[in-house]
Amino acid sequence: MIWWPTRGLKRSLTEKTFQPSKEKVRTMKIFKRSMHICTIDVGNSNLLNFEIKALQSAQYNTHRFGIYFSDSPRHADLLIVLGTPTEKMITPLMNTIAQMPEPFGILIVEEDDEMDLDLPNVVGRLKNPEPSDILSTLLKIMERN
Amino acid sequence: MMAYIALGLYFAGIVFAFKKEISYTLSAIGSVFALTEGIIGTFYPFTLGKVEILPKVYMELGMNHTSGVFMTIAAISWIAISIYSIDYGKFYPKDMALWLNLSVFGMMIIFMAKDGLTFITGWEMMTISSYLLILKHKGSFKEAFEFLAFGELSTVSLIVAFASLFLKNGNFSFAQNSGTVIFLIMSTFAFIVKMGIFPFHTWLIGAHAKAPSNVSALLSAPLTLMGVYGIFMALSLMPNLHLYNFEWWGILAIAFGSTSAFWGALHAVAAKQLKTLPAYSTIENNGMILAAIGISISVTSSGDPNLAIMSAFASVTTILIAISHTLSKSLLFLSVGHAKEALDEDNIDDLRGVWSAVGKIPALGILISGLSFSAFPPLVGFVGEWMLLESFFQSYKFSDTLARLVTTFGSVFIALAIGMAAFSMVKLVGYSALGYDHGKKARHIPSTMMRISELFLVILVFGFGIFVTFVLRYLGYSQFTSGLLGVPSPFLMISSVPIFGVVSPAFFAIVTAVLFIFPLAFYLKRRQKVRRVDSWNGGLPIEEGEYFSAPAYSAILEIVLKKVYMTKEKILENKANIDIVDFISVFYDALKYTVLKVEKVLSNVLMNGNVNAYVAYIFAVLVVIFLIVR
Amino acid sequence: MKILLGTFHKDVDYYIVQEDGVISIEIDPENVYTPNYAFVKSRDLIIGSDDPVRTGEGVFDFRYGPVTSGVGEAGIYHLYTYGERILSVDVDLSYKHRNISKRIIGLDFKSALKMVEKVCGNFTFSHSLAFTRAVESANGINVDSKSEKLRTTALELERIYNHLYVIYQLAQAAAQKVLTSHMSYLFEESLRMNKNFSGSRYLKGFNDIGGIKNFDERRFENLKSDLQRITSEFGELYKGVLESGNFLDRLYSTAVLNSSEAINIGITGPTLRATGIKEDLRLNDPKYKNLKIPTKNEGDSLARMEVRAEEIFESQRVILDQIESSDENNETGYEKGFGYCESPSGTVAYRVDVKDSKISDIYIVTPSFFAFKGIANALRGNIFTDFQFAVESFGMNFADGAL
Repeated sequence: MIWWPTRGLKRSLTEKTFQPSKEKVRTMKIFKRSMHICTIDVGNSNLLNFEIKALQSAQYNTHRFGIYFSDSPRHADLLIVLGTPTEKMITPLMNTIAQMPEPFGILIVEEDDEMDLDLPNVVGRLKNPEPSDILSTLLKIMERN
Repeated sequence: MMAYIALGLYFAGIVFAFKKEISYTLSAIGSVFALTEGIIGTFYPFTLGKVEILPKVYMELGMNHTSGVFMTIAAISWIAISIYSIDYGKFYPKDMALWLNLSVFGMMIIFMAKDGLTFITGWEMMTISSYLLILKHKGSFKEAFEFLAFGELSTVSLIVAFASLFLKNGNFSFAQNSGTVIFLIMSTFAFIVKMGIFPFHTWLIGAHAKAPSNVSALLSAPLTLMGVYGIFMALSLMPNLHLYNFEWWGILAIAFGSTSAFWGALHAVAAKQLKTLPAYSTIENNGMILAAIGISISVTSSGDPNLAIMSAFASVTTILIAISHTLSKSLLFLSVGHAKEALDEDNIDDLRGVWSAVGKIPALGILISGLSFSAFPPLVGFVGEWMLLESFFQSYKFSDTLARLVTTFGSVFIALAIGMAAFSMVKLVGYSALGYDHGKKARHIPSTMMRISELFLVILVFGFGIFVTFVLRYLGYSQFTSGLLGVPSPFLMISSVPIFGVVSPAFFAIVTAVLFIFPLAFYLKRRQKVRRVDSWNGGLPIEEGEYFSAPAYSAILEIVLKKVYMTKEKILENKANIDIVDFISVFYDALKYTVLKVEKVLSNVLMNGNVNAYVAYIFAVLVVIFLIVR
Repeated sequence: MKILLGTFHKDVDYYIVQEDGVISIEIDPENVYTPNYAFVKSRDLIIGSDDPVRTGEGVFDFRYGPVTSGVGEAGIYHLYTYGERILSVDVDLSYKHRNISKRIIGLDFKSALKMVEKVCGNFTFSHSLAFTRAVESANGINVDSKSEKLRTTALELERIYNHLYVIYQLAQAAAQKVLTSHMSYLFEESLRMNKNFSGSRYLKGFNDIGGIKNFDERRFENLKSDLQRITSEFGELYKGVLESGNFLDRLYSTAVLNSSEAINIGITGPTLRATGIKEDLRLNDPKYKNLKIPTKNEGDSLARMEVRAEEIFESQRVILDQIESSDENNETGYEKGFGYCESPSGTVAYRVDVKDSKISDIYIVTPSFFAFKGIANALRGNIFTDFQFAVESFGMNFADGAL
């Protein structure tokens, strides 16, 4: 019989080392201590959604950097746009951006296709990233590295 | 003197019924005089006159402290309802004014009655004219008749009660020490039927929901107040209760009262119709009143002099809840009626957006009365419910085990009732007054007088809450006002001496207002910069069919408490809904069904239209009479 | 029992039918009028429950999506309810529709394979395998046995990480914090294992038409140790899961789908196996030896999770078996231009027409399309809080369903 609390305390799964990002991003120092992130899938192949889920895994432990995932754009500081918008998703994407409280940033994460929409406050672009890339990019945006 | 003027004005109102506005105005002015009269009567009891009909049988009018207090409360409601009716009455025929005046006339007679005969006269005037008032709404025959049936049930038990009074004293006078046990039981029964106490509440739901809104307010606030006053009157004839060992009366009252409060609150939550919800809320409030009376009587009849202060507190609690109920419920029915008439809708769900569609004052009326019933400080409803809970908290002082047990369970029911009342009021207020606008345009109706009446009550709901300590002093209970810890006397309300619990609505109001200034100033300063967006709903604008409906708000409770509500989830031909039943009404329906069945059988067997049978009956009767007379 | 999975028109109507672990293309079979014929034929992007209930007192449309964390993808669930009870469901896939089957036409095989891998990121390998098999059979290409071995391994690796993901999501929905953390750890580890093995976390670009070339045998050694570590850790956690009453209570009797309903819809994969039907495309694949197919009879979320968990162990056994096995040539017969495989959530099948080394026509069968219909039916009568457990346990996604 597993007693979950003891199991939870027994092992540390967090990885301490990670590579600093080489991406070019616009930094937002105001979020240095804490950044809440909302993600929106606009039509990627589900692979990027999986990478975001993987980013929330124990290895990366984003909470130690003050990075939290929020369910609503109204509570978020950074919007991560995943993929290239399908025709019908353009309106929801714009509505979501309209809900973001100032100041906010948008991080575009895409697969092979390029997004040709003109979005406000874009702080960076990533192409086919792994979770560690996303994390280091987020830390760079927060000016934590 | 004032009383005669008031009665005269009501009479004039009856006479001038052909001209609706004048009639309602006369009624409003009359009510102002009635109010004055009530205030005078509170401090200076008086008698007006005595008419001897038969030897020892006379009718007498007068006023004492208790009736003065109750008449003051009721008169405020009459004023508001009369003013409101000046505009609202335009949708209904002229005789509504007549019956409204007559009904108020009857109520005033009840307050001023000094003997049983006068009392019953007033009682019948009120009942019959209320019945005719309910009928003014189309399709309300069944509900009106149910109201009349229960009204007459209470009249009959009153007659029995007064008969026992006559047997003991040889007259109908309400003199001190004149009560009997049968009188107390029968009159209490009559009055709790009028108050709509569980399990005699079913008439109230239909009648309140179907009646025109000003009549609903009249039925719900002053009419049930008559029941409360009646109980006070009946008990006042039985001083030295501890000599009679009347603790059982108090315990029963607590039991029935708390059950009723719980039941009313439970069904208010599940109500879908606009006026069913306030109707169940009335049952809940009257249950609370009865429970408070029960505590007071339990304490008094235990005869423990140390508990006198608790008894006094419980009885002032009763009056405070009665005030709270009368003011808030009048306000609620009047504002809901206003909105209902303007939007021409029956369900809570369809009455969205009163604030923007109908107007700010009716919305404010619904909001403030809803908050008052949700016990939101510093409103008067908060004061009443705080006092009730304080009364229950002090039940540990009881020495009797049964009384302790009943109060403990009673307080559980009351606490649940208060919680669920807030739940139901959120449903009503949240959907109607503050809900999203359906985009439906309201009818343009003349509403100046309606607004004045609503505003008048809103101010009173605030005023009686904030300045409750002065009300206590006015009622003659200055021992429950004090000052403590920087709160100057008499702004603090205390629940016992020595101090048990304290609250100061006035200071709550001041502190909240002061704290509110800063956010308000901040908001006003930044208002220009605020960015307005649609509410967030998953990236797409919310559409008409996507609003969370009012029945859905309470659905979880209906599903979880399946046994209590007798919930049935029905799906029929691609349509679905949840049906709930008040199981007491199932009982009455069964009774009605049985009576109809028996009647049918009897009419078939006995009155079958056969001439021979009728001849046989006549012959049999003749034989019986012959035998008796011989 | 025959399961109708698709239909396409070429001079006459053809029907793609699965039966006893084999998929065949039939002309005018007796079961033309199977219950899901209209559904399969229309391929409507809005999938609703049977006998929809959308009106009544207090009934409203609780729209969940397209931007909500509970859905996670660009799709909408319209939940019709009078409060708490879900009366019927309409799933709107159109927000994710990328028109892939149209865009693929006219592409050469290489770019078409790239496009196919983008249909659904987490079923990348299943799609590429079914597609390459279809193209290979269309062109008469034979695949060497080593490639077959690698393909089988990769397919099972995909199964493992997807199943781990489903259980991770179920644990998260039930707010089992410790289990969620550990499952997320295993999920990320399994993705890293994929990368060590194939160079891509999602086995992307690993498969190729004609077989997998340039594979370093030493990667098998790493794979073996990684795999044993992950599955033994999962085994330990899973033992705990089966003892955790308040987790199992959330899954038990949630979103029940019985076997006849599942077959009528066209559901395959673990969802079908959780209703007690032993139906798996791997059964007739000679690469799998002594394959044990776990089945459960309840058809609820718990049964689906149990089937998936047991499949993880079975997949581990299969992979170890593949590593040890010697190369031997097996003839696998696919009809011309037709290829399929058992993806983690059910049957993926491709039918292609080839002209001048280009794709001239394509028909894709995906498991998620049917799973959405299953969800729409199984959710009826459940309450809002069951939603996450129902949806996650089917292991489907909008990208796969909408194409």
